[in-house]
Amino acid sequence: MKGAFNNVVIYNGYPLSLVVAVTFHSVILALLLYLQSTKGPEALELVQPTVVKVLLIQENPQVANERKRVERRQQQQRVREREVAQQAAEADQQRREQEQAEARAEEQRKARELASLRQRQEQERLDTERLVREREEQQDREDEQRRQRELAEAQRQQEIRDRERQQEAADAAAAELASSEFEMVQSGMSIIQQAVQSVWSRPPSARNGMRAILQIRMLPTGELVDAVITESSGDPAFDRSAENAVYSAAPFRELQALPTNVFNENFRSLSLIFQPEDLLN
Amino acid sequence: MNEGITPTLLILEASLPVQLVLLTLLGLSIVSWVMIFQRAMVLSAATKGVLSFEHRFWSGMDLSQLYKEGSQMQKEDIPVVGMENIFRAGFKEFMRLRQQPTMDKEAIMEGAQRAMRVAYSREEEKLEKHLPFLATVASVSVYIGLFGTVIGIMNSFIGLASQAQVTMQVIAPDIAEALIATAMGLFVAIPAVVVYNRYSANVDNITSSYVTFTDEFSSILHRQIHSD
Repeated sequence: MKGAFNNVVIYNGYPLSLVVAVTFHSVILALLLYLQSTKGPEALELVQPTVVKVLLIQENPQVANERKRVERRQQQQRVREREVAQQAAEADQQRREQEQAEARAEEQRKARELASLRQRQEQERLDTERLVREREEQQDREDEQRRQRELAEAQRQQEIRDRERQQEAADAAAAELASSEFEMVQSGMSIIQQAVQSVWSRPPSARNGMRAILQIRMLPTGELVDAVITESSGDPAFDRSAENAVYSAAPFRELQALPTNVFNENFRSLSLIFQPEDLLN
Repeated sequence: MNEGITPTLLILEASLPVQLVLLTLLGLSIVSWVMIFQRAMVLSAATKGVLSFEHRFWSGMDLSQLYKEGSQMQKEDIPVVGMENIFRAGFKEFMRLRQQPTMDKEAIMEGAQRAMRVAYSREEEKLEKHLPFLATVASVSVYIGLFGTVIGIMNSFIGLASQAQVTMQVIAPDIAEALIATAMGLFVAIPAVVVYNRYSANVDNITSSYVTFTDEFSSILHRQIHSD
């Protein structure tokens, strides 16, 4: 006993060590995955800009686009569900009819049996032969029906699968497009934000938590059409400084590089929030 | 887009060189942990062997009796390890040389000591096996990880060069992906360094007890040969 143990430990410890090492790594990996799955999103929510915020908000059609996309997807989902339900109902109906037919066949068979009982004395042998034959035929018919039913079922499944696959492909393509568009919008937003932020000189009366919202309209060339204060901070100097910042930052020539449709959907008109958070008072 | 950046996703979507680096490091990590566990068993068995054999040796048992016990163990297929091997080599040579009447006393002692030296270096070799590998892993895996990081950051900068405006959302995933390689390198290197140092100290302890035993045993043999 002890000899065998020594053998394993000293001259042939490798299999045992290998198992232990692999287990060790798997445990660490599993632990990491677990921690990540429980903590991931929370950590991301904490990310916040702390300096001057110049953001695009609801006026921005991007949000509307997103909402439209979601709605469209939901509707498709609903249509698909309805189709599936309908198909299920049809299948149900078929099954019920089938059952009824079988019940009828059963009754007939019983009736025939009764008749044969009555006539058994004179032609018992003949009757039983016919009965057996009939039963076989009945069996054959039922088999045939079942086979057809299975075939139809398989075909229907195949169709559903095909439709799902097409849907998935379409969704993926849309997502791809949306993500590249998202990047472009992000980059455009940061261009505007940085330009405005760099020329914004705040008046001495500015305080943390003050908030002014300006709606601006632009041409595809990046030129500013006008800027209107939609929400005042209550301090005229602050509002004026924000307005000045927008006018002196314009035109945003970098936006010319954006595709026309992206510009039209996102940048034609947008809102800027001026909200200092980095002041010391 | 900016949500759902998790380490798993980063690794799966990393560029090929970074993935290769990560795979190499994973392999090194597994192999080095195999060595760590295997050495742990060997070294603890050797330490136990030293204690138990010293106990038996100094219990006043007759030396030829001790030798016979060892032979018996070998016959039963129980491996004889460490200090006992040194003892057996020295004692066997001593007895064999003493059978020859023409042998001079000093020559007998010399022969026994030589046999013990040989057995000692065999045992030391067994103990130190794989330790150089651990040392290599300890020093190299950090560099492998750094290599992966540098390649990853380089790739991300090449990607940035084609973009007009750079936002944090574009840079962050690439940099994070690159940094995973360094983290992995450190993860492999740190245990290897610690274990290498600890095991080297252990091996030193065990071999020095072997040396001490060799000296003690040869003094006993010396006394015996000069007493008759």
